[in-house]
Amino acid sequence: MKTLGPIYLIAILIFLYTPILVMMAMGFNASPLYELPFHFSLQWYNALWDNSILLTAGLNSLVIASITAVLATALGTMASVALSRRTFRGRSLLQLMLLPPIAIPWLITGTAMLIFFYWTGIGRGMHALLIGHVALAIPYVVLVVGTGFKTIRADLEEAAMSLGSTPVHAFFSVTLPLLYPSILGAALFAFAVSLDQFVISYFLATPGYTTLPVQIYSSIRKGFTPEINAISTVLLLGSMTIILIFARFAKPGDTSDKR
Amino acid sequence: MQNDRLTSASERGPSGPRSRRPLPPWVSTTALLLPTYGWLTLAVFLPLLTMFVFSFMSATPMGKAPIVFTLKQYRAFIDQPYLVGIGITSLLIGFWTTLFCAVLGFLAAVALVRSTFGKTREMLLILILLPFWTNGLVRVFSWTMVLRENGFLDSLLHMIAPDAGSIGFLYTRYAVVVGLVHGYLPYMILTCYIALVAIDDAIIEAASSLGARWWTILFKILVPLAAPGLISGAVLIFIPVIGSFMEPRILGGRVGVTMGTVIEDQFTQAFNWPLGASLSFTLLAVVLAIFATFSGVLRRGTVA
Amino acid sequence: MTNVKVNSVAKTYGTTPVLSDITTEFPEGSFTSLLGPSGSGKTTLLRIIAGFIKPDQGAVTIGNNDVTHIPVWGRNIGMMFQSYALFPHMTIAQNVAFGLERRGIKGAAARKEVDRALEMVRLPGFGDRTPKQLSGGQQQRVALARAIVIKPSVLLLDEPLSALDRRLRQEMQVELLRIQRESGLTTIFVTHDQEEALTLSDKVAILDKGRIVQIGEPETVYERPLTRFAAEFLGDSNFLTGTVENGAVRLADGTVVQTTATLPASGSNVTLAVRPEKMSIASGPTDGNGLTARITTVIYAGPVLSYLLETADGLPLKLFAQNRDGKVLSDGDTITLTWAAEHTVPVAD
Repeated sequence: MKTLGPIYLIAILIFLYTPILVMMAMGFNASPLYELPFHFSLQWYNALWDNSILLTAGLNSLVIASITAVLATALGTMASVALSRRTFRGRSLLQLMLLPPIAIPWLITGTAMLIFFYWTGIGRGMHALLIGHVALAIPYVVLVVGTGFKTIRADLEEAAMSLGSTPVHAFFSVTLPLLYPSILGAALFAFAVSLDQFVISYFLATPGYTTLPVQIYSSIRKGFTPEINAISTVLLLGSMTIILIFARFAKPGDTSDKR
Repeated sequence: MQNDRLTSASERGPSGPRSRRPLPPWVSTTALLLPTYGWLTLAVFLPLLTMFVFSFMSATPMGKAPIVFTLKQYRAFIDQPYLVGIGITSLLIGFWTTLFCAVLGFLAAVALVRSTFGKTREMLLILILLPFWTNGLVRVFSWTMVLRENGFLDSLLHMIAPDAGSIGFLYTRYAVVVGLVHGYLPYMILTCYIALVAIDDAIIEAASSLGARWWTILFKILVPLAAPGLISGAVLIFIPVIGSFMEPRILGGRVGVTMGTVIEDQFTQAFNWPLGASLSFTLLAVVLAIFATFSGVLRRGTVA
Repeated sequence: MTNVKVNSVAKTYGTTPVLSDITTEFPEGSFTSLLGPSGSGKTTLLRIIAGFIKPDQGAVTIGNNDVTHIPVWGRNIGMMFQSYALFPHMTIAQNVAFGLERRGIKGAAARKEVDRALEMVRLPGFGDRTPKQLSGGQQQRVALARAIVIKPSVLLLDEPLSALDRRLRQEMQVELLRIQRESGLTTIFVTHDQEEALTLSDKVAILDKGRIVQIGEPETVYERPLTRFAAEFLGDSNFLTGTVENGAVRLADGTVVQTTATLPASGSNVTLAVRPEKMSIASGPTDGNGLTARITTVIYAGPVLSYLLETADGLPLKLFAQNRDGKVLSDGDTITLTWAAEHTVPVAD
């Protein structure tokens, strides 16, 4: 068991990473038809600079992800405060209501948004994308911040109150500073979720305004060249970096006193 | 030692709105919750409601045409029998994907818990979960690199047997399943890992001391105790998979027709929104039914 | 420094009454322990006095002020928590100064008070460290400094020493006592450890199922428990039941037990408590009370020998004997226990 385990895990890792690495490698191969043997070339990355469609889509993705991160974190943190610190009737129901955006297949939510936005005149495009992305990111933010809350013991706020803090003051001077890592982590998470979001973006994008994943999809459907590999590699490395930063950040810091 | 300021301060008590009656807590609670749930209502719940209404229309409302309500969209499975076949295909794809994920993922989680420790385990976990949080589209695309004719798989084959034909199986249902398993496997590993990690080592030691061999421990102890993780992982994989359209299209080509692609077609090609809506809601009904059946296990077994 | 009064305080959660009609006074400068098993309501009472919980009925008075409707942050209390509750993102000095800042004392004046408080708890110069860098005992002392620096009206301690190991605990008990005496703060201390309660307090209040069973000085409560529960919870006790007859008590097997306490009317049933350490082994005929019993178990604990015995009637008895000469009796030996009349205490059931 002891040796089988790691071997199996390495096999799993090979399974998980081989396609990704192959795809990345092909982005550096000169042949436009993905033919071997392998000749190293940066031409596809250079071509990216001239590909204004992909670049614009990429920029749009970044803009939307940034705004989503800010909005979703703000809204999600506020909701998380209420859900974590207050008890009230209907709290379970409200917590349940956070599940649909992530539990219901995005195909359903995406098409529903399409219908609703069309019917109410909101239409598609940047604002529609923002509405959708923020809605998707909020549950993740609540989850991350909520978990952060659990690591902060309630008696810290009580201690502050016993020393003369009103509940509001106790929250801002004790709880919030300890929550910063979680909030930051949640923002990073929301950013990554938005950046990688495909399905909802697919339905809410317009020919004039798309995000990078949607554009990559169209390119794949039309017939792809290694330029797609290049931009995909960029996107992949970008998300991975963000998630790695998040993993370092959101590691619950030692907020509990030593015993 | 006299400190007049301190003495009078302590007599006065701490400053702050002591005499002013504080606002009832529900005010601030509502203020905190309203933006979020208002947004969710606008972005998720109202749209779902609207789609529900649309599913009863006879045609996509355009311009001044009168809206006719009908139930015919929900009879689609009867009127267009090919949809039944597609539905079954989707369920089968979901089943196989979930099964492979369950077996492979569970074993990986067992390996993680039983044969790795500390920093190694942490690193492995991050490595395994990392792809899951990146772009699904790109990962699916990467499989085309491997499975296509003269792709990576063929290259490997030709290194050993240069004259062999192609074993690339892109544009088949198998490719779709492989791509889906690749995409969702980390999630199953995570849920199983969380369930397994909670098992007290002492239980396994007790079983060994009573004479159990590794297969007994695996099947009689680990699987039952990790069942919540397995089930919640299975549910949370099966559901998105039966609604997927991106993976079937990219990896399945013409063969990749699923409920997901059919629904997507209604919105992007056929422009038959009511049918798309009814199919979506049928799918949603299946999803909710699955959730309802497993809700008890899910509550205990998920990350939250 | 003021006294604290609670009047008819009661609290019910759902259908369970957690506190029923608690009325008592904590005199100025006194150290009172609230002692009881878990579920007795002692922590609830403390938190009602602190202001974290609102009583369903009754009033809490600190000094001359009725604080029942004043929230915790307006009551000018100092509190210590079982888990220390130091703010991990602040330095020690910032922790201690927290309450001062709330009272408008900042800057140099605050620093002076912080230094003084830290010196008082014997942690001079620790101001710039963080809670993570301190041991459990040190953290608890910082918590104490933080609570007393604001010169509160009352000091409330919620099992503050439970998380410490035995040695540290005993050291902290001494510190706590010293600081309480020096500052003269009215102190209310919740604990389930009877030894702690007896050692530290001027007064011990025993709580059971939401009521104060007995309150008094440690000696009084220990030597003269009022109820069976009090006799059992604080220390160990033997219980003898019998009928009152001619100013003494006749047990079921006919033995007559003398007591100096007041007995109920002749003919009524009564339970008597006798502490195991008050009994000794009779070497010959004695003046005091006596009972014959057979040893069933011998527990050799070093300085104390505990004997579990049984009378002919099956009445279980316990005896604590000082290990004076290293001689240990054996299972099955029959001995006569004897004790003085004044150590026979009638208790209510």
